[in-house]
Amino acid sequence: MANQITRRKFLISSGLAGIALKAPMLFANTSGSTALSPIMRRIPGTDESIPAIGMGTWITFNVGGDEQLITQRTEVLKTFFELGGTVVDGSPMYGSAADVMGEALNALDGHDRIFAATKIWTGDESATRAEAARSSRRWGVDRFDLLQVHNLLGWQGHLETLKQMKANGEVRYIGITTSHGRRHREFAQIMEREPLDFVQLTYNVLDREVEDRLLPLAQERGIGVIVNRPFQGGSLFRRFQSEPLPDWAGEAGAGNWAEFFLKYIISHPAVTCAIPATSKVEHMKENMGAMYGALPDASQRQRMAGYVRSL
Amino acid sequence: MSGADWLSYSLQDFVMFGPQVFLRLFVRINQDLWPWQLLAVVIAIFIPVLISRQSRVARRLAVGLMSLAWIVSGYGFLVGYFGPINWPAAWFGWAFVAQGALLAAAVFSGGVHDSRLAIGRLAVLWLLAVCVLPWFAMADSGQWEAVGLFGVAPGTTAAAGALALALVTRTWRWVYLPLLVLWSLFSAALLWVLQTWWLLVTPVATLLLVGAGFWLSPRTAQSPD
Repeated sequence: MANQITRRKFLISSGLAGIALKAPMLFANTSGSTALSPIMRRIPGTDESIPAIGMGTWITFNVGGDEQLITQRTEVLKTFFELGGTVVDGSPMYGSAADVMGEALNALDGHDRIFAATKIWTGDESATRAEAARSSRRWGVDRFDLLQVHNLLGWQGHLETLKQMKANGEVRYIGITTSHGRRHREFAQIMEREPLDFVQLTYNVLDREVEDRLLPLAQERGIGVIVNRPFQGGSLFRRFQSEPLPDWAGEAGAGNWAEFFLKYIISHPAVTCAIPATSKVEHMKENMGAMYGALPDASQRQRMAGYVRSL
Repeated sequence: MSGADWLSYSLQDFVMFGPQVFLRLFVRINQDLWPWQLLAVVIAIFIPVLISRQSRVARRLAVGLMSLAWIVSGYGFLVGYFGPINWPAAWFGWAFVAQGALLAAAVFSGGVHDSRLAIGRLAVLWLLAVCVLPWFAMADSGQWEAVGLFGVAPGTTAAAGALALALVTRTWRWVYLPLLVLWSLFSAALLWVLQTWWLLVTPVATLLLVGAGFWLSPRTAQSPD
């Protein structure tokens, strides 16, 4: 097929070129007035803003003691920082990912550059502090910016402790997570009555259930939204990377499929940040490309969702 | 968590690492062990020689070497290398150590029988397991350093080790069986998710060799149990 486009081809032909064009302007920020600014999002109820593209660590940073892969993942994190990223999300559930992140942060001296988010993942509702402390040691951070109850596991007990920890300054923000569209009804009930700073949920151009209830509720309640599985665990690329981008993708600010998928997400007004995960530097560059340039408007977003459905 | 919640999970949701990381475990352990895995190769070839001698001592020595292989691959590969990225692997690693201890106990407590066996068939199946299965990790990774040797890689060790079913008495056979089956199911599910299709042959071969182990074992009437 003449028009077959792979992710790598996009990188070579357009994505990298796009970043290369944008990066000098970005790094000329101190002197030039034409600098291309990263897309930032305010955390609701605060004056603090965070970049709209973060980084997940699910699968990608769980490399055990493999020094070669730790070095390679450190390069991924370095690229993320260089292109303006700060928000990194993990979980004790992700095997050795927290230790690898700690090693990478040490290697890059990156502890001050990161908005560190992790999760509490234990059925023991009295172990919140102990688990947070264990994760702090593994990441090598004094405290986390955001602690979230993972998949609502033992959420009642954990959330009470997290509220106390926030009041004591042991953590800056607190939240809850879900993924794969699970337990949305209970999730909404918690959002309605608990003082949450963030929720984390699954949202992408195909999985759009949260547009009906959870995203409007987050806006209404002033809760930040972190989006996991923006590429549906990579399956969006597997399904669509051989398809051509629509002619009008550029108007929506998308130069490749990664930007197409990510800009669809971060252009939703309720979304604070999307956290794609990758183990490759070139994919990180593509992902971070979505943090620059135009965003699709409401009608373009409809068109994007319709286009993907039509393929 | 409700039943509906559990049903919403797929096998992929429980595998927190990718195929690249998994296949590099074989490369890393081979690099770290070098050149000691050559000893494992010699042992793997020597075991059918011992079995073919039809001597009680030689047969016990063969089972003792199998015991050592279970322990080394369990503690080395599964606990040491695989466990940090996948906690069930560490549990299986300790189960491999226990399986090795079980075989050792069989050696020292009369659990290895000295009945006549179809030595030729046993030796052929053994050599097929230890000579063919190691290449599948290499086929999936494209790196010769990923070769999954008996006594180092748990898959090949379990597959060849299944033939110990033919060498131990009936009671020991049934105690020895569960881990072989559990490990085969676990590794098959894992390799399916990782889409390492060549390696997927190994757990299938293990189950076939379990059947062969029973088939080659002395009939009940001849068994000392």
